Amino acid sequence: MKAPFSAYLTSIKPGLQALIALLRRDYDYVSVLATDSKGLAVRISQRSKSVSSQTMTTERGVVARVYRNGQYAEYAFNAFDPADPAAAAAEIRRAMDAQLALLQANTVKTYETPILPDEAQTLFVEKEAAELPEQTDVKALVEKLGVISDKGVSLHENALDCMVSAQSTHICKMFLTEKRELCQSYVYSEGNLALILNRAGNTQISYESVSGLCGPELFDELESKLEKVVETGEELLNAGRIEPGEYEIITSPEVTGLIAHEAFGHGVEMDMFVKNRALGAQYIDRRVGSELCTMHEGALCAENVTSYAFDDEGTLAGDVTEIDHGILKTGICDALSALRLGVQPTGNGKRENFEHKVYTRMTNTMFDSGSDSLENMIASIDNGYLLEGMESGMEDPKHWGIQCIIKMGREIKNGKLTGKVVAPIIMTGYVPDLLGGISMVSPHREVFGSGGCGKGYKEWVKVADGGPYLKTKARLG
Amino acid sequence: MLQTIVNILKASGVHAWEVSDVKKTGWEFYFIRHALDQHRAKNVEHITVKVYQLVDEGAGLGFASAEIAPTATAAEAEQLVRDLSYRATLVKNRPYTLTPPAEGELAPGKASDLAAISGDFIRAMAELPETETEDVNSYEIFVSDVTRRLITSAGIDETERYPSSMIEVVVNARRDGHEIELYRNFKSGTCDAAALRRDLEKAMGYGRDRLAAVPTPVNGKVNVLFSGEDACEIYSYFVARMNAQMVYRKMSDWEIGKPVCENVTGDKVTVMALRELENSSANHGFDASGSRIRDVVMIEDGVARNYLGDRMFSSYLGLEDAFMPTNIAVSGGTHSEEELRAGQYLEAVEFSDFQVDTMTGDIFGEIRLAYWHDGEKCIPVSGGSISGSMGDFVGSLRMSRESAQYDNVRIPALTLLQGVTVTGAQK
Repeated sequence: MKAPFSAYLTSIKPGLQALIALLRRDYDYVSVLATDSKGLAVRISQRSKSVSSQTMTTERGVVARVYRNGQYAEYAFNAFDPADPAAAAAEIRRAMDAQLALLQANTVKTYETPILPDEAQTLFVEKEAAELPEQTDVKALVEKLGVISDKGVSLHENALDCMVSAQSTHICKMFLTEKRELCQSYVYSEGNLALILNRAGNTQISYESVSGLCGPELFDELESKLEKVVETGEELLNAGRIEPGEYEIITSPEVTGLIAHEAFGHGVEMDMFVKNRALGAQYIDRRVGSELCTMHEGALCAENVTSYAFDDEGTLAGDVTEIDHGILKTGICDALSALRLGVQPTGNGKRENFEHKVYTRMTNTMFDSGSDSLENMIASIDNGYLLEGMESGMEDPKHWGIQCIIKMGREIKNGKLTGKVVAPIIMTGYVPDLLGGISMVSPHREVFGSGGCGKGYKEWVKVADGGPYLKTKARLG
Repeated sequence: MLQTIVNILKASGVHAWEVSDVKKTGWEFYFIRHALDQHRAKNVEHITVKVYQLVDEGAGLGFASAEIAPTATAAEAEQLVRDLSYRATLVKNRPYTLTPPAEGELAPGKASDLAAISGDFIRAMAELPETETEDVNSYEIFVSDVTRRLITSAGIDETERYPSSMIEVVVNARRDGHEIELYRNFKSGTCDAAALRRDLEKAMGYGRDRLAAVPTPVNGKVNVLFSGEDACEIYSYFVARMNAQMVYRKMSDWEIGKPVCENVTGDKVTVMALRELENSSANHGFDASGSRIRDVVMIEDGVARNYLGDRMFSSYLGLEDAFMPTNIAVSGGTHSEEELRAGQYLEAVEFSDFQVDTMTGDIFGEIRLAYWHDGEKCIPVSGGSISGSMGDFVGSLRMSRESAQYDNVRIPALTLLQGVTVTGAQK
């Protein structure tokens, strides 16, 4: 079925178009993004259970962007009365003028930016979903997750709890200007399974996740992850600590995705180029990785949690080749940064929600596949680790340092997995060394979309990343 | 809409309910260097409804929640309450009662002057002493006037109004064509211009040192001294272990009246939840369920005294007057700075992202800048990482007598972890 576009947004469209017309009397450019995204979140564990209609991306509100004298400004609100657009226009003018008075009193200079183009365009997209979060059988879902949680704790004698969560969000967004009218509706879902274990004071958490551009039907896949979660949990309880040092490593697709995200995800967000905050700006058309390293970014690169039709500035979704056989080709860009840099926007202007500013943000960040089998990759290593499970990451786009917290490493000696597991692991290094060291790439490729991404320590948005198994070298501690 | 939803809930026949109403007006200013990139304002209201239903003839309690838009119609609100009433019956938790009303009135707070606070931030940043080699790359100012109201079926109707501010600053330092950046994110009630200036001047000094840093030369077990905000993460481990949810879920085995660590050779930690900390962004009168926030000792001289947490898990532990702490103060340090800086140690001042996993106790951090004190000289170093487990550090933790405040957390100015694993960065 098609995920139906919001009746609420349709109902307020004439009012918002009237608001745009009123604001255009005072401003040279006006756009409006209106959102109405509904969701469902069910969390079941042995010790607490809850149902909520709120997820990370549920929202209903409006943000108006205005432009005058080289300066952009925005006003976010969620009490729009479509019958009285004049009141909203007056409130926006009043707030913007009050801020300008403060700025003028403090002789603040403007970072002048050209005006956004406004070429006529209409788009109406309703993507497919088998189920909708607002119509799903919540009782059946609660029962399904309860069975998984019960089974999870029954499968391990040291299990404290098995926490199962399922979240599904029906995104509806409408972008309007004088000449443009873009509407989109799609559903994404994500589920997580976390087994918490304690043996003799040693607490460990093992988890698996699923995600996709689909409805709550996704949660049928969760139970199949139980066996792996239990196996990994036992391995974590028995894991030793790694001897710090530099090793040959194989990154699992999840860890590969983390590297993609941290290394040349944040590192090529071009709003950072505008601020001269990214070393990548100086490395366009230069080598940053081995010949085997090719990376793509864009909402069209994969079908997952952030595969929209247009971004939060009304730019159509794209697919950018960031790194082509080791050569950095380009970054990703929001619309205002594109104007400042004289390039085309790539459809990566995203907001945490309607209340927040647009930044250049990632969507699907993926390494391309290769032709080396995982078996051959393991066989080629004398002393190293197969790294699995990602915890978190942090980048330094100005210095190309990278930090990845990884759940566990499987020891490889003389071309074979020894069965020894170490955990947890902190992988650090210099991004061009890490990517330059890629010497083997597998054909197998996966996408992961169950996490969130912040810019600095705020502005949380959904992203997905992934890729194949990679062989390279890194410093592990 | 708020009164409409309350009326619908009162007439609905549900077992219990809570309505949270948060109104926020905010001003935001985004700068590249000192030129204005963009300015923004917001005026939003978020109403969240939580409905409780008894299940299995009172043997269980279910709940379901949703946000309702201020633009919703009465018919939409009625449908939402019907949906929540049904959904709440689908999840069975151990029963507990909602927080009862407290005696006495809370001070309601007053409106914040967004223009005045924003102006203070703008002027503080404009007056920052920059040099040819250290300056400000960009900054973002967020100032809000927040009104928070909670109404419940148990009779609570509390309101508070307060300012909330944040400034994110990126500082650059450069030498011989090489430029690096340092990131800072300060939260507070209003603008403390003097503190902001002091912290950013310090950051610029770190920037200079990082440009002169050599790859971290040490490997193995090393004493690590924390002299900045990252140490808050260390103490979050203590707070989390005293959280009612962690205890109820058996993720913490710390018992009231018993030491949190046996055979302590270092300092014994005292942790307090505080109602007020000067200019904290978290000086709240009540928590999400309406429980009044007050000063409570959580850990005293290394001995667990009081668990705190949300209403549900606190009730399960039989704690009727607990609450979710918002401000934390840590003390118990017995050492002077000179004592803590004796011998060989690594003073870590900048990480990519220092983390303490409060469940497993694991600590991690890539070193962006540290000072290696080899007993004779001090060398700025960069690269590599630290790792280890809090379980191994609590017993030998050493702290300074002096304290430092970072928004809603006051901690010892210096914290020494002994025997941390350092992975160096030298080839």
